[in-house]
Amino acid sequence: MSHLGTLISALIDGELAGAELDRANAHLAGCAACQAEATQLRQLKRELSTLGELDTDDAVTRRLLAMTLQGGQVTARPLARQPGRRVRRRRGRYVMWSAMSIVVVGVGAAAFGMGGSSSGVNEPQITPQLEVFDMQHAITSGDVPFADPSSTRVSTPPKASKRTLVKGSARAAAEATRP
Amino acid sequence: MKRHLGLLVSAVVTVTIPGVLGVLAVLGHEHAVAGTETVSVSALAAESAMGPLPQAPAGTNLPVRNSLAGVQRTSGSPVTVFSDVAAGQQAYAMRLLGQAAAAGQSTSYEGVEKTSQSGVDGSTVTVVSQVWHVGGGQTLISTSSGATPGVSYDTGVRSPAGVFGVTTAQISLLGRHYVATYRGDGNAAGRPAMIVEVYRFDGSLAARFWLDTKTLVPLRREDFDTAARLVSDETFTQVSFGPLTTQPANASYTQGSTLAASPQAAWVTAGSPVAMVESMAKSGVRLPDSLLAGLPLYAAASNGSGAAQVTDLEYSDGLSVISLFVQRGTLAASMAGWQPVNLNGYRVFVSGHSVTWTGRGEVYTMIADAPPQTVAEAVAALPYGGQPGLADRLGRGFDRLAHLVDPFA
Repeated sequence: MSHLGTLISALIDGELAGAELDRANAHLAGCAACQAEATQLRQLKRELSTLGELDTDDAVTRRLLAMTLQGGQVTARPLARQPGRRVRRRRGRYVMWSAMSIVVVGVGAAAFGMGGSSSGVNEPQITPQLEVFDMQHAITSGDVPFADPSSTRVSTPPKASKRTLVKGSARAAAEATRP
Repeated sequence: MKRHLGLLVSAVVTVTIPGVLGVLAVLGHEHAVAGTETVSVSALAAESAMGPLPQAPAGTNLPVRNSLAGVQRTSGSPVTVFSDVAAGQQAYAMRLLGQAAAAGQSTSYEGVEKTSQSGVDGSTVTVVSQVWHVGGGQTLISTSSGATPGVSYDTGVRSPAGVFGVTTAQISLLGRHYVATYRGDGNAAGRPAMIVEVYRFDGSLAARFWLDTKTLVPLRREDFDTAARLVSDETFTQVSFGPLTTQPANASYTQGSTLAASPQAAWVTAGSPVAMVESMAKSGVRLPDSLLAGLPLYAAASNGSGAAQVTDLEYSDGLSVISLFVQRGTLAASMAGWQPVNLNGYRVFVSGHSVTWTGRGEVYTMIADAPPQTVAEAVAALPYGGQPGLADRLGRGFDRLAHLVDPFA
């Protein structure tokens, strides 16, 4: 006579009924091995029941239970896409690029503004002070001030004293010879 | 789709704007410093003009090849290829010129100087000046013409300190860039003189000096360009040495007197010319800090402050001298007394040996005792243009921003 096999688990769990239940009980009454196995299963069931109730609504628990009962393997299921997270990430990029653009444009505009006239108004109109420049050039070069005839200015020479010797109309003294 | 488009536009703007700004800034910087060479003037100044000179084989007759001149300019070290005999002549001639510079200060003299110089526009300009100098004291220079005499002045502190450009500083520079030789005796201003000739490193004659045999005060000077044309001739038409016998017509003269108020007193000499150029660069005005048309920067000064400040940069190789005055602004619409001239493609205003033009928000005025081609080369090496361009403006702006962030940069 064959033993109960997998039917013994169903018997312990109360899942057998009718003729199948009668045959299982009849076999169990005359088979010491199946009685011992049934005893161990009942003991195990009691110990498991002391661990608390499982939340069978939880998907993970269900799959783990199924794996335990069926002896099969659980296949990984691809995670579901989360559109909200991607939108947030893209939004962050927009903010970063926009901030960088604003900084670059701002620095460029500041440089453009600061690169203009320091006074912020039109540049002063200048006629070089040749008399002053001529004298400075003469002092540094070690030569006489070289009057430029084309900029001759005729003026009454100022009265000079030993403490105030003023360069007069030096330009008027020059004579130009053009070929 | 809209999201992709927005991202694309954002990326293009972010990449393009800094790229364009960077390119413009770099181009502006490069353009502004065009012609700037990188030789350190401080290195030149640190060396002695009278130091030992490398010598070529005794068989070498004339100095100097162009390539050696190039070596000198790039290395900053004095180079000559004279023979042993010629090297001795060089040392003797340099000693004479040095003594002439000192004599021009310490010796009392009076006389009439006549100066003829080729102008930038090709004209020849002649100036006649009467000069009084008391040894160790002031020099008075009076130019006289008809009914409008005038008196130029020098002070005891800030005087030309020399005759015909023979000063201690200029002779020191000359010793680094030319080869001087004693050429024998001659006459000038009716007095016996010793003749010293100055050669370029390519062997061409650059200048000739007549030094009074008795006092060593320069009596005459000639300058030649690279084509052996006379570009400047300065001479005493009459001169006497010793205690002064006459006085300027419009000024009483007292040895040791000082000037209480003169425009020259406003000039403040810079301790480091290179530092002044670097300071100007931080404010967006980039100028050569070493060589301008082959002339090293050797002195700098400033006058005034703020937007009205005028900066004076002096470039010289001992013979040619260029004074470059830089001030913010543009040239006035009416430039009375100035002639508009096209100088190698640059429209400038010329008056005698002075040139002025506007370069990107600055007015440059150059006074040159130099051959016309040297002046043209110098003008071409400096900023030019009516108003600062976009690149220059951005470059200047970035410079100012950087200086604002780090004032010590």
